[in-house]
Amino acid sequence: MKKAISMAMAVTVALSTAATTVPVMADDPVELTIWSPTDTEAIEAWWEEKIAEWNEANPDIQVSREAIDRSDSYAYDNKIATAVTSNDLPDIFYVDGPQVSYYAANGITVPLDDYFSEEDLSDFVDSAVAQNTYDGSLYAIGATESSVAFYYNKDYLKECGVDVDDLDSRTVDNPITWSEFAEIAEKCTTDDYVGAHIIMDHGEGLPYALEPMYLSAGKDYISEDGTTADGYVNSEEAVETTAYLADMIAKGWANVEPITDEFLNGACATMLGGSWEIATLTANADFDWGVTYYPVNDDTKEAVSPCGDWAAAISKDCENVDAAGQFLQWLMNTENVATYAAAIAKPATRVSAYDEDVMADYQEGNLALIKAQLENTAVPRPRTPSYAVFSSAYAEAMTNIFSDAASTGEVDNDYIQSELDTVSDTFTDDYETYYAE
Amino acid sequence: MTKSMQFSAKFGKFMFYFGNIIIGIIFVSPLIWMISASLKPEAEIFANMDSLTTFLPVQASLNNYAEVFSRLNLPQVFKNTLLYIALILIFDLLVNSMCGYALAKFEFRGKGAILNLVVALMVLPMEAIMLPLYIEMSQLGWVNTLAALVVPFIAKCFSIYMFRQFFYDIPDDLIEAAAIDGCSPAGTFFKIVVPISKTVYATVFILDFVAHWNDFMWPFLVMTGEDKRTIQLAVQSFFGTNPVHYSAIMAALVVSAIPMIIMFIFMQKYYVEGIASSGIKG
Amino acid sequence: MAKMKAKKLTGRKRDERIAAYFFVAPAVILLIAFLVVPMIYTVYFSGFKYQIMRPDAMKFIGIENYIELFQDKNFWQALKNTVYFTVIVVPVQCALALGLALLVSKKFRGVAVFRTMYFSPQLTSMVVISVLWSVLYNANPNTGLFNSILTSLGLDPISFLNDEHTAMNSIIFMSAWQGAGYQMMIFLAGLQGIPRDQYEAASVDGATKFKQFLYITLPGLKGTIKYVIMITMIQAMKLFTQPYIMTQGGPKNSTKTLVYYIYSEGFQRGNFGYACSIAAVFFVIVVCMSMAMKKITTSTD
Repeated sequence: MKKAISMAMAVTVALSTAATTVPVMADDPVELTIWSPTDTEAIEAWWEEKIAEWNEANPDIQVSREAIDRSDSYAYDNKIATAVTSNDLPDIFYVDGPQVSYYAANGITVPLDDYFSEEDLSDFVDSAVAQNTYDGSLYAIGATESSVAFYYNKDYLKECGVDVDDLDSRTVDNPITWSEFAEIAEKCTTDDYVGAHIIMDHGEGLPYALEPMYLSAGKDYISEDGTTADGYVNSEEAVETTAYLADMIAKGWANVEPITDEFLNGACATMLGGSWEIATLTANADFDWGVTYYPVNDDTKEAVSPCGDWAAAISKDCENVDAAGQFLQWLMNTENVATYAAAIAKPATRVSAYDEDVMADYQEGNLALIKAQLENTAVPRPRTPSYAVFSSAYAEAMTNIFSDAASTGEVDNDYIQSELDTVSDTFTDDYETYYAE
Repeated sequence: MTKSMQFSAKFGKFMFYFGNIIIGIIFVSPLIWMISASLKPEAEIFANMDSLTTFLPVQASLNNYAEVFSRLNLPQVFKNTLLYIALILIFDLLVNSMCGYALAKFEFRGKGAILNLVVALMVLPMEAIMLPLYIEMSQLGWVNTLAALVVPFIAKCFSIYMFRQFFYDIPDDLIEAAAIDGCSPAGTFFKIVVPISKTVYATVFILDFVAHWNDFMWPFLVMTGEDKRTIQLAVQSFFGTNPVHYSAIMAALVVSAIPMIIMFIFMQKYYVEGIASSGIKG
Repeated sequence: MAKMKAKKLTGRKRDERIAAYFFVAPAVILLIAFLVVPMIYTVYFSGFKYQIMRPDAMKFIGIENYIELFQDKNFWQALKNTVYFTVIVVPVQCALALGLALLVSKKFRGVAVFRTMYFSPQLTSMVVISVLWSVLYNANPNTGLFNSILTSLGLDPISFLNDEHTAMNSIIFMSAWQGAGYQMMIFLAGLQGIPRDQYEAASVDGATKFKQFLYITLPGLKGTIKYVIMITMIQAMKLFTQPYIMTQGGPKNSTKTLVYYIYSEGFQRGNFGYACSIAAVFFVIVVCMSMAMKKITTSTD
């Protein structure tokens, strides 16, 4: 047995030494590889066109892109993790906004400060720069943003006696409050409808879409410097905020297990939905609907909205960071950002991109509202290397809290406190183990 | 035979079919739902989930398939997938059946240890060895090559053990007789044992084909690039959009299931032949 | 003459031994290279503090991961859930599979169609099955078929997947249904081995179908049944996809299994060294279980 093992080891070693590396010739062009998730046909076509354009103009820096067929973002992270282990990372790869700090803190990505000056960055919305900054340096740069807003089924709300005109007339300075939200949800809950949709999914959608609730109540999930969860996610404010949300589930105003397209299919009256829903609803809804700003806490009236999207980063394995930096400068110019954002139907990160013709839709109506949220109220998710751990622990806790509320029909603040304490402990454990000095 | 006996035989036959059809429908319902969803527009898929009408496409259209065909290079995807699965299965059936036969019928030192090893390794979940295996592939320089998809998955404990269990039941007389006729042990295996064991080969073929056809995570980790896509990677490429478009996914899944269904029906032949040639074990 | 035969036999014994090594070598070498070696790595990593993104900062910590593991209530919960799932699903799924195999073991018009139907959950993507069943199980009668039926019968709706008391049972029910086709195929192969004449003799003797099943089919399938129970048990211990897609291990950890825990700690949370220690303990538990099973299956068949 032992012999067999050592034999196999020997075979492994012999085979691995056989695979030699080919030396790079000095006058060969620099070759850059990009990984980004596979997307819609429009985006795949955009990449093809842009890369051809760059390669023709820059014979000395040749770029190619690999579309990564992720099934979920965890699968994508796995691919990055395995590539890290064997130093097989591409030169540039895309990373989801809240993961930027994780990669940066672990030295997987390199700073981009040399390629994007403060002046360059002034054209980007603050939230996008903030999300991609870790420890004072910029580690990723993206073309698109996202947001969450309050959608409502006008036809149905009118039936229930809700003042729809009032909702339509709200501005970024005068959004609806939590109690107004709850009131609408209560009014609209009948045998065939639930009043609200507050659970985007049972993963990242929870911390992403619900964070403004906590911020509006006065405490974020994690401290500003990304080091502490205790006293934040398990604070009194956080418990009250969670109780407010759990109450909607307990009273049956919102589904504990919302199915896909619940709002679109006329099973719920309102929803906290992503900015991408605008395109889906415009194309498919057979009822009149509207969208307004993210609800605010009654006491603070502090308006906050979610944000963040995938962005490009340069990996530690990149041999020619300058070339990669130059390419990213070009990739994130106003025209490219505008055409990319238009193709993917997401709001752009660059303010000047909104002046381009392809982004004309953002001048008024529902999309202008998304743009206004991004420019005025967007706050990125916590910038901490332990975000992934926090996010999965928080999602787990919220699922427990919501299902408890649904099954008992009551909100138990002590239970909420204990679940949120667990989230804090899990975060602290990971942070202390791997990142604390 | 009296009339009442004839009637009861007919009634029995009717009940037999009736029961099979009812149970069959319960089992095939997700497949029907998947096909039905693939013919619906996006907004319809999760509508009416509270009634059985969700299993029927009301306004059927082939738009979703058009999208799948235009976005994926299907001939290339099928070629990639069938090639790697065919390579695995050829070696899988050969290597594992030989090993299973030796464990069932030969006496040699170390037999007990190998049998224990096979049983012990059956329990290894892929999730637990994924990263070390990847590191090994990388050291071998196999990342992004066919070798990484094929070589690690040829030897399979489940297959070895299944072959062993079935070969164990083959009467020793049959093997003795061949030996006395001058057949070498290898000759006996290939000329006598393999031809009468079509059913177990077909079983291993079907089960392993399905397992590899559905495998996503491993090809995802070791293969990068559209030209190297396997079928599950191609299907998963539709999950990258935000929001996810289930209509295209359902169509892609139906397309991906077709070769498996054809394979399964084709392999049935060997089960039927198995019935005809039964009695070898007695 | 007798002497010659004996000589021939010893010659054959020697041939057989050489052939045996030639027969087992390819499989054994491959198993060692691609299962044993990675497993040794996994056990090795379990001695380290190892953030998955930071292989360069690996730090040896001895048995600390194991000490933490044995105090980790999530680990014990996952172990409990895994054992519960296995104990319930194995008999249910095997019995269902045997029943299906008996329905379609004989040649009749359309037998291939019915076999394909029973096997079809295996041919349908697990993702689709999980997505579909999540919706069928949905707690709201307006969006979930099962609850819609329950309420129309005047019963109270059940939060199948959203209640810690019913979530695992809901997954068990779905898994047995989904997986039975796999074991059915093995039973079918096993049923081929029972000589037809035994049934013919029995039916001439006037034995009922049930008696034939009891006295011919079951004993004839003894080896197959043991094999099927063993592989079903091993596959059940590895349960991952269903809770991953349908419940994410919740609610209240009620569907978190060991393999799910390995995956979520190691890959989702990057706590790789710790995940390796869970994996190592998992190996030990399941190897002990399957060795015990093997003892039973190989001693008497």
